Amino acid sequence: MLILLPQAIVDGILLGGIYLTVAMGFSLAYGVLHVIDFAVGEWIMLGAFVGLTFTNWFHLDPLLSLPVVFVIFAAVGWMLQPLLQRVLSGSRGRPVLMALVFTFGLALAFRGSALTVFGIFTHSLNTALSQGSWHVNWGSFFLTIPLIRLAGLVYALAVIVVLNYLLKKTDFGLAVRAVAQHKEAAGLMGVDIKRTSAAVYGLYVGISAMTGVFIGAIVSLNASMGPDLSLFAFFVVVLAGMGYLSGVPWASFLLGLIQSFFLIYLNPSYVLLALFTILYGILLISPTGMFRKGV
Amino acid sequence: MRGLPAWLWILLVIAGVGLVPVVMTDAFFLRLFTEALMWIGLAITWDLMAGYVGYLNFGHGVSFGVGAYATALLIVNAGWPFEPAAALGGVAAGLVALISGWPTLRLRGAYFAIGTWALNRAVMQLALVLDITGGADGMRLPAFLRPQFFSWVMLGVVGATFLVLWLLLEQAPFGLKLKAIREDESGSLAIGLNPAKLKLQAYVLSAVPAGIIGGVYAYWITFIDPASTLGDLVTDQAVVMAIFGGLGTLIGPVIGALLLFAFKTYFWAYLSDYQVLYLIILGLAIAATVFFLPDGFWGTVTRRREGRRALQKGMALAHFPEK
Amino acid sequence: MSDHVLKLESVSVAFGGLMAVDAVSFQVAAGEIVGLIGPNGAGKTTVFNAVSGYYKPTRGRITFLGQDVTGHVPYELAAKGIGRTFQVVKPFAGLSVLENILVASYLRYPGQAAARNKAWEVLKFTGLAERANIPAAGLTLASRKRLEVGKALALEPKLLLLDEVVAGLNPTEADQTVELILKVRESGVTILIVEHIMRVIMKISSRIIVLNYGQLIAQGQPEEVAQDRRVIEAYLGEGSSAANGSTP
Repeated sequence: MLILLPQAIVDGILLGGIYLTVAMGFSLAYGVLHVIDFAVGEWIMLGAFVGLTFTNWFHLDPLLSLPVVFVIFAAVGWMLQPLLQRVLSGSRGRPVLMALVFTFGLALAFRGSALTVFGIFTHSLNTALSQGSWHVNWGSFFLTIPLIRLAGLVYALAVIVVLNYLLKKTDFGLAVRAVAQHKEAAGLMGVDIKRTSAAVYGLYVGISAMTGVFIGAIVSLNASMGPDLSLFAFFVVVLAGMGYLSGVPWASFLLGLIQSFFLIYLNPSYVLLALFTILYGILLISPTGMFRKGV
Repeated sequence: MRGLPAWLWILLVIAGVGLVPVVMTDAFFLRLFTEALMWIGLAITWDLMAGYVGYLNFGHGVSFGVGAYATALLIVNAGWPFEPAAALGGVAAGLVALISGWPTLRLRGAYFAIGTWALNRAVMQLALVLDITGGADGMRLPAFLRPQFFSWVMLGVVGATFLVLWLLLEQAPFGLKLKAIREDESGSLAIGLNPAKLKLQAYVLSAVPAGIIGGVYAYWITFIDPASTLGDLVTDQAVVMAIFGGLGTLIGPVIGALLLFAFKTYFWAYLSDYQVLYLIILGLAIAATVFFLPDGFWGTVTRRREGRRALQKGMALAHFPEK
Repeated sequence: MSDHVLKLESVSVAFGGLMAVDAVSFQVAAGEIVGLIGPNGAGKTTVFNAVSGYYKPTRGRITFLGQDVTGHVPYELAAKGIGRTFQVVKPFAGLSVLENILVASYLRYPGQAAARNKAWEVLKFTGLAERANIPAAGLTLASRKRLEVGKALALEPKLLLLDEVVAGLNPTEADQTVELILKVRESGVTILIVEHIMRVIMKISSRIIVLNYGQLIAQGQPEEVAQDRRVIEAYLGEGSSAANGSTP
C-alpha cells in the first residue's frame, strides 16, 4: 500500500494545481466584491465547452483556445459585474443574500443552456498532451505523471505568478487591494471603483473558464458538472479563509491530496461523500478557514 | 378580514379545493393538481426559513428526500401501511433537521447556504452509495394507483401545513420573533429572544412537512431515486417559486408556486422537446426577480397596495391595531 | 447589604492583549441616574456590553439585584431586568414601529393581546404612537432613538443602559429625549447612561463615573468630577474641555 503513496502525493499535487486556479479567482472576487458566486462551477463548465467548440470548429489543439476563452469570458464577466453590483447595493431585502440567489439563478440558466446546446453526454477534450506521461523511476517507486496534468500545474503556477505580479507590482493591483480593504476610501482616493470591480470579476471569470479547458482535457466535461466544481471551489476558499489569497495554495493542495488519497486508498464512489462531509465539518469547526483569517 | 376569523377562511378554502377532485376526475388533471399542491408545500416551508428567519436553506431537498426514503423503506422493508410510514417520514426529516440544524445554524448568511448545499449533496451521495436505498437504481414501491386518494392526501398535508404555519407565523408571537432575528440577530438578544432556539425550531418546523410531502410523493409516484428526491431540482424549484412569489409571507410562495407550476406545465405540454429550456427559464426567472422585483410578485403587489393606502390616509395617522 | 441595583467588582474585559476595561469597580443604587463618561475608546460601550451580556468579562464579577450575572447571555439578563440601547441604533428595519415594540413586549407578556396593550402603552409613553404603523426604516434619527428606548422599556427593566441616546440630535430633540429619560427614572427605573453631550449628562446624572483607557479614574458628583484634575487631563489630552461643561 505504501508503494502507492508517492503516486498519491503526486496526483494530489497535480489535482491541487487545478483547484488552485479556480480558488484564486473566486477568492479574489470575494475579497474585492464581497460576492459569493454560486455560478463558479458553471463558469468553469462553460469555459470547457467553449474550448470544445473552438476545437471542433477550427480543428486546433484545445490548449490553443485558452487565450480566446479567456478573452471571451473576461469580457462577459466585465459586463455582468455591474448587474451584480446593482443587486448588492439594493435597498430592499438582504442584498448579500439576494446577490447569492442572483448568481444561483445565473448558474441554473447556464446549466440549462449547456444542457440544451450540448446535451447530457460527457465529452472530453483531446490535446496533444493528453496521451503522454512521464514515467519516473525513483528507487523502488514508479511514478506516472500524465503530461496534461503537469500542464495544468504549470498553468496554475503561471496564474499565481501573473496574479501576484498584477496585484503587487501594478497600479491596477494597488487599486484592487485598496477596493478590497475599503471601497469608499479607495473611491475618495481616485480609484475608479466601477472599473476596478468589473475588471476583477472579469479576471476571475476568465481564469475560471480557462481552468475549465484544462479540466475538460484532464478529466472530462459535461453540462451538469458545475455544482460539484462549485463545491470544490467553496471547499478550498472556506478552508483557506474567504478572501485570504495566501491561504489558497495550501488549501488547494490539501484538497487535491485528500481527493487523491481517497481515490487510491478508499472506494472511489465514497470520494464525493467524504469531501462534502469534510467541507461541512470545516464550516462548523472553523468557518474562517484553517488560518482563521477568513472574512 | 371581516366576519370570519382567518383560520376559518383557510379551512373553507381548503375544503373548497377539496371538492375539485370530486368534480374533475381525469387522471392527468389530478396528477397536476397533486403536484401543484406538493410544490406549494415545499415553497411555503422553504419560505419559513428564507423569508421569516432570513436563512437560505439550499438543502431543503434533504427533508423531502429523507422523508421519501424513510417512507419507502418502512413500506417496502418493514411492511408498514402508508399513512404511518409517511408520518414517520416527516419525523425522520425532523430528526435530521434537529441534528444537522444545531451546528449548521451557527453559520451565518452565505456560509449557511453553502453548508446546507454541501449537506444536500452529501446526503444524495449517501443515497447513491448505500445498498439499502438501492443506490442509483432507487427503490420501487408497491403500486397504489388512485389519483383521487393522493390528491386529497396531498391537499390534507399541504393544507394542514399552511394552516399551522399561518397560526404560528401570522397569529402567534413566533412569526414576529423570527422576523426580528432576520432583521437583527444580535440585537434580538437584547430584547430577550434566544435566536439559537428559535432558529432551530423554525428549521425543524420547515423540515417535518417537507418530509411528509416526500413520503406522500414516494407512495404516489411509486418510484424514488437519489436524483429525483435529493437532487438539486427539488430545492431549486422551491427556491424559485418562493422568491418569485415573494418572501416573508405565506401567500407569496403559494402564488409563486402556482404561477411557476402553471408555466412549467404549459411549457411541457406545448414545448416538450425543449425540457431543458425549463432550467434556463428557471434560472433567468430567479435572476430577473432578484434584480427587478426583490419583493417577488405578491410582495410587490402588497407593497403597492400599502403604499397607496398610506398615501390616502397620510403616513402620520395612527389606526387601531387590525390583526 | 446596600440596595445597589448593579455592582461591578474589578471587572476586566480583554481582547487579546488589549485591556478594553481594566479592573473597573462601581455600584449603581436604585433610582439613580449614573453617567458614564470618558474620551473615545475609554471602554464605556465595552462596560455596557459586559453588563448586558454581549461580552463575557475576562475577570471580575457583575452583580445585579444581588445575583451574580457575570457572563450570562443577553436574553437571560433581559429577563432578569436589564434593558439597553445601542450606540448605533438597531431598529428592526423591516418591521413597523409597533412590531418593534411588540416583539420586545412578548418577554413579559407572552400572549398577543396583553403584549399589544403593553406595546401601545410604551408607544404612548415614548411619543411614537402616531407613527406606529410606519416601517422602522422610515423613521428619523430622533424617532429611531426613541424606538430604541421604547424597545428596552417594553422589557420592563429595573436597570436601563442608555448608550448615547442624545448624540446626533438637534437641541430641541435632545431636550425632548432628556425629558423622556427623566420620565423613565420617575417610573422607577435605574439608569446608567453613556453620553458625550456634557451639558446633558452633567444635568441629569446624580453621579458621574469617568473612564480613561479602560480604567476608572474618577467618580462623584458632577461638579466635583468636572473639576477633577485627572478628568480634565484625560479630556484635554483629546483636545476638549470638560471643565466648563461645554460640548466636546
